[in-house]
Amino acid sequence: MKDISKSINKVDNEEKISGSAKYTADIKIEGMLFAMTLRSSIRKGEIKNISYPDLPKGYYIIDYKDVQGKNVVKVIFDDMPIFTEKKISYLYEPIALVIGPDKQKIVEIIDMIEIEYKEEEPLLAWTDSVLDYHFDKGIGLKAFDEADKVITYDYQTGYQEQAYIETQGFIGYPEGEKTTLIGSIQCPYYVKNALIQALGEREENVRVIQSTVGGAFGGKEEFPSLMGCQLAVAVKKIKKPIQLIYEREEDMLVTTKRHPAKINFEAAIKDNKIYGLKAKVGIDAGATIGLSGVVLSRALLACTGAYTIDNLDISGNVYRTNTVPNGAFRGFGAPQMMFAIEMFVEHIAQDLNINPLEFRNSIVAKQNDLTSTSGIYRDPILMPEMIEKAIEVSNYLEKKKTYSNPNIYKGIGMSYFFHGCGFTGSGEKDTIKARVKLRKTKDNKAEILIAAVDMGQGVKTTFRKLVANILEIGIEDVIFNNPDTDFVPDSGPTVASRTMMIVGGLVARATREIKKRWHEKEFIVEKEYEQPEYIKYDEKTFKGDAYPAYSWGVNVVEVEVDKTTYQVKIVKTWSVYDGGKAIDERIVFGQADGGLAQGIGYGYLEVMNHKDGRIQQKNMTDYIIPTALDMCDMETYLYDNPYAYGPYGAKGVGELTLVGGAPAVAKAIENAINKRVYKIPVTPEYIMELIDNGKN
Amino acid sequence: MVKSLIAKSLNQALEALDNHSYQIVAGGTDMLIQNRSHTGMPIGYKQDIIYINLIDELNYIKEDKENIYIGANTRLETILESDITPKILKDVILEMASPAIRHTATLAGNIGNASPAGDSLVVLYLLDCKLEIKSINNTRTVFLKDFITGVRKIALNNNELITKLIIPKTNFTNIYFRKVGPRLSDAISKLSFAGGYLIENNQIKDLRIALGAVYITIIRSREIEKEFIGITVDELVENKEKLIKAYEPLIKPIDDQRSNRNYRKKVALNLIKEFISKIEEA
Repeated sequence: MKDISKSINKVDNEEKISGSAKYTADIKIEGMLFAMTLRSSIRKGEIKNISYPDLPKGYYIIDYKDVQGKNVVKVIFDDMPIFTEKKISYLYEPIALVIGPDKQKIVEIIDMIEIEYKEEEPLLAWTDSVLDYHFDKGIGLKAFDEADKVITYDYQTGYQEQAYIETQGFIGYPEGEKTTLIGSIQCPYYVKNALIQALGEREENVRVIQSTVGGAFGGKEEFPSLMGCQLAVAVKKIKKPIQLIYEREEDMLVTTKRHPAKINFEAAIKDNKIYGLKAKVGIDAGATIGLSGVVLSRALLACTGAYTIDNLDISGNVYRTNTVPNGAFRGFGAPQMMFAIEMFVEHIAQDLNINPLEFRNSIVAKQNDLTSTSGIYRDPILMPEMIEKAIEVSNYLEKKKTYSNPNIYKGIGMSYFFHGCGFTGSGEKDTIKARVKLRKTKDNKAEILIAAVDMGQGVKTTFRKLVANILEIGIEDVIFNNPDTDFVPDSGPTVASRTMMIVGGLVARATREIKKRWHEKEFIVEKEYEQPEYIKYDEKTFKGDAYPAYSWGVNVVEVEVDKTTYQVKIVKTWSVYDGGKAIDERIVFGQADGGLAQGIGYGYLEVMNHKDGRIQQKNMTDYIIPTALDMCDMETYLYDNPYAYGPYGAKGVGELTLVGGAPAVAKAIENAINKRVYKIPVTPEYIMELIDNGKN
Repeated sequence: MVKSLIAKSLNQALEALDNHSYQIVAGGTDMLIQNRSHTGMPIGYKQDIIYINLIDELNYIKEDKENIYIGANTRLETILESDITPKILKDVILEMASPAIRHTATLAGNIGNASPAGDSLVVLYLLDCKLEIKSINNTRTVFLKDFITGVRKIALNNNELITKLIIPKTNFTNIYFRKVGPRLSDAISKLSFAGGYLIENNQIKDLRIALGAVYITIIRSREIEKEFIGITVDELVENKEKLIKAYEPLIKPIDDQRSNRNYRKKVALNLIKEFISKIEEA
C-alpha cells in the first residue's frame, strides 16, 4: 500500500482559487433582509430607558423581549445574554438587532434610537477572580523548604486577534416550522444546541449548515453561537430570510480574542536543578467567563512545558473585567504558558551560570515520566533526536555563540513544546461523546457524515483521502459535503487538534467495517467515541491523564535586529514536529508554515491593547499581522511517531505549530540584543526599553 | 445624497470648482477609506464630490533642464516606471504602496490628504517640491512646505486644484529614504526619514534632512541645515551632537495605536545619527 502521507491536491483548491466557492456573503436569498446590531456606548452600567422610533413598514427591532427560550448563550459557562436586558458589562455589548431591506435605512434607525444609561466606573484591573484553580504534584510547595535558592520572574502576554479573512456571519431563513441558519462556523452543533435553548424549540425544528469558511483559528468556535441565537430569534419572529454579517471593524471590536495573561513563576533550586516549581497564572476573561476556565486549564496543564518537573504547586485565576469577552484561539491557553515557561527555564539557567541548552536537555520529558497532573507520558517521546535535528539543520550552536557578540545584532532562539491532543481531561468521553456515520451508497461510493468543518486546514481533503485509502477506491468516490445538522451526527466541534485524531480515528473504524461489508448494496455504519481504558482523569483535583496523546515540536528562529530602529527581521526558521503521522504531508506543511507565522507574529508583531476598555486596533491597518514579506524561508521536518488510536497513527497538528513560535522568536531577540525578554509581543518599542534599561 | 461629478477635462473641473464646493477625489485610496460605509452601501461621502481621475491632461511626467514635472493625475505606478523619476522617489513609492494602491494613487492626492505619516511627503519636502495650483482665472506656484499647514490641513481655496508637482533637479552625493513601519510592507509608518548630501572636495555643499510622523507636519529646517553647509566632513562629524541637539526640540511626536512618543523621538534622533555616520563612512 502506498504511504498515506504522500500529498495530493487539496480538493477545494480549484473552487477557492477560481473564486467559485460560496462563502456566507455570497449566498443571496429572494427577499432577504439585513440585520445590524445596536450596541452599548458605555462600558459598565445599566440601561435606564430605551426608546425606539416608529419603524417604517418592513423594518423590525428584535431584543431580549423576543427571546422565547432562555436569554443565555449556551457555551461552557452560561453567563452571556443573547441580548442584554439592562446590565451593560462591556463596550459595544449587543442590545438589539435592527432589521430591514435597506442598510442605509437601518443605519438611520439605529441613529434615532435613544438610550439612557446609568453609567458606572468600569473594572479594568484584574481583581474580580471568578474562577480559582489549584493543583500540585509530588511534594508540592514543600519542595521549597529544601531549596538552595529560589528564582522568581514574571511574564506577560497580550491579546491576539484571530484575523480570519472572512468576518463572522450567518444567513437565517425559515423552512416551515424549522429555523435554519447557514454560516461561517467551526462547530455546527455548538450553534444548534445554543439555538435550541434560545428558541425553546425541539431539536428537529433547528437546522445549522456550514458554508465555506474563510478562516477561523478558534474565533468561530463559541462566538458564532451568540450571533446565531440573535439571528434565529429574529428569523423565527419575522419569518423571512435575514443576513447578519459583521464589517471588519465591528468584528475586531466585539468578537473574542486570545486571553491576555500574567504568569508568576518561582523555582526551588536544589543542586543546580529545578526541584520544585510554583506558578500563579492569571488570565483576563473580559466581561463574561465563557470558555475562560477551559483556556486556563490548558494553560495550567502546560505549566512545565516540554520538561518534567517533579514537584509542582500550580494555581490560576480567571479575572472578569469590563472589556470585550475573550475566547477560543488556536493553542487555547498553551501559547501563553509555553512562552512563559520557555523563557523561565532559559532565565534560570542563565542565573545559575549553566549552559541553557544542556540545562534544558537534561530535563526534557521522557516516555513514562509523570505529566504535570501525575498522568503518564505513555508513548515514545522523540524530543532528543528532534532537538538534535533542529540544531544540526539550523547550525544553532555556532550561530548562538557568534551572535552573543553584542555588536552583531543577530540572534537565534530555540523553543521546545508539546500540545495535548483532543479535549482536556475526560471531555471527549463525558461531554462531547463524538458520533460519526459513514454511508455506503448503491453506486459504490462512501459518504462521510460528520460535523467537522473545513476552515482551510484541509479536513475535506484529508478525510476523503483517509477513507479512500482504507477502501482502496479513488478519492472521487468518497463524498464529504459541508456539515448540515439535518444529515450529520454530532462528531463534536472542530477544535482542540482533535479532528483527525479523534473524529478521523472513528471514521477509520467505520471505514474498516464498511470495507468488510462492501458487497452489500447500501447501508450506514455509525461509531461512537470510546476512551482508551487506561485514560483516567479527575477534573476536580487535576489528577491523571489530561490528554490521550501529545504532539511535540522544536522551533528555531533566526532574527536580525536593526540597531537604529529596533525593528526585527525574521531571517529563517527551522521546525521539527512529531504529529504522529501526516495524513497528507503538504497539508501538514501548510499548518506548519501558517501556525508558526501566527505564533511568531504573536511573539514580536501583533499588538492589540485596550485603552479604558476600548480596543485600540480596530482594523487590519492598525492590527499588524505578518505579510509574506515579513516571513521567510521556513524549513520543516516531520517525524513519524504513530499513536495507536489515531488513524494511521495521526495525532494533532493544528495548534502544535503555533505554540512554539513566540518563545523561539523572543529568545532569538534576547540573543541579538543580549537582554532578557519578559513579555510579548517583543515590539521595537519594548526592544528600545530593554536596550536602554534591560537586564543582561 | 451627495452629488458627484466626473470631470473629463481640466477646464470642466476648474469651472465646476468655481461654481460649487466639492471635495476632490483623485485615486481615492485615502478618501474611500475615510468615507467607507457598510458592504453593499454607497461610499459614505459627507459632501459633494468631484472625481478628477479621468482628466488625461494631468497625467504625465516630463522634464526640462531645471525641473521634473508630474501631472496631478499621474499614478504612482507611472512615476515608478518612468526613467525621469529620481531614484529616491522610486524608493519611497515602492515602500509606501502595494501594487494595487500604486495603480490608482497619485502624489497630488497624497499631498491633498496631508497626513503627517504620508511617506511621499518626506521625500518631496527634501527635494524642495513646488506645486502648481490652478483656478479658472489664476495659476500660482507654492512650495509644498507652505502648502501643508497642519494635520490634514492645506492652503487650497475652494475653487482651486493642484495641477502639477514641480521637483527641482538635484545633484546629491547620496540621498536616501527610510520608512520605519510596523512591518515590512503594506503598513502606515510609525515615522520616516529622508536625508541627502552633496560633498565636493571634502566640503559639505548641501545637506538636507526631513522627518515624517514626528510632528503635525513633515519636519524640514533649512535654518539648521544651513549651519552645517560649507563646513568640512570632519567638522560635521565633530559637530554631530550639536546637529542632533538642534533637531531635538522640533521632534514632538504623539502616542497612538501604532507606537509611542518615546520610541518615535529616540528613533528619529537615531536616524539622524545614522545619516551622519553614513556621511562619515562615505
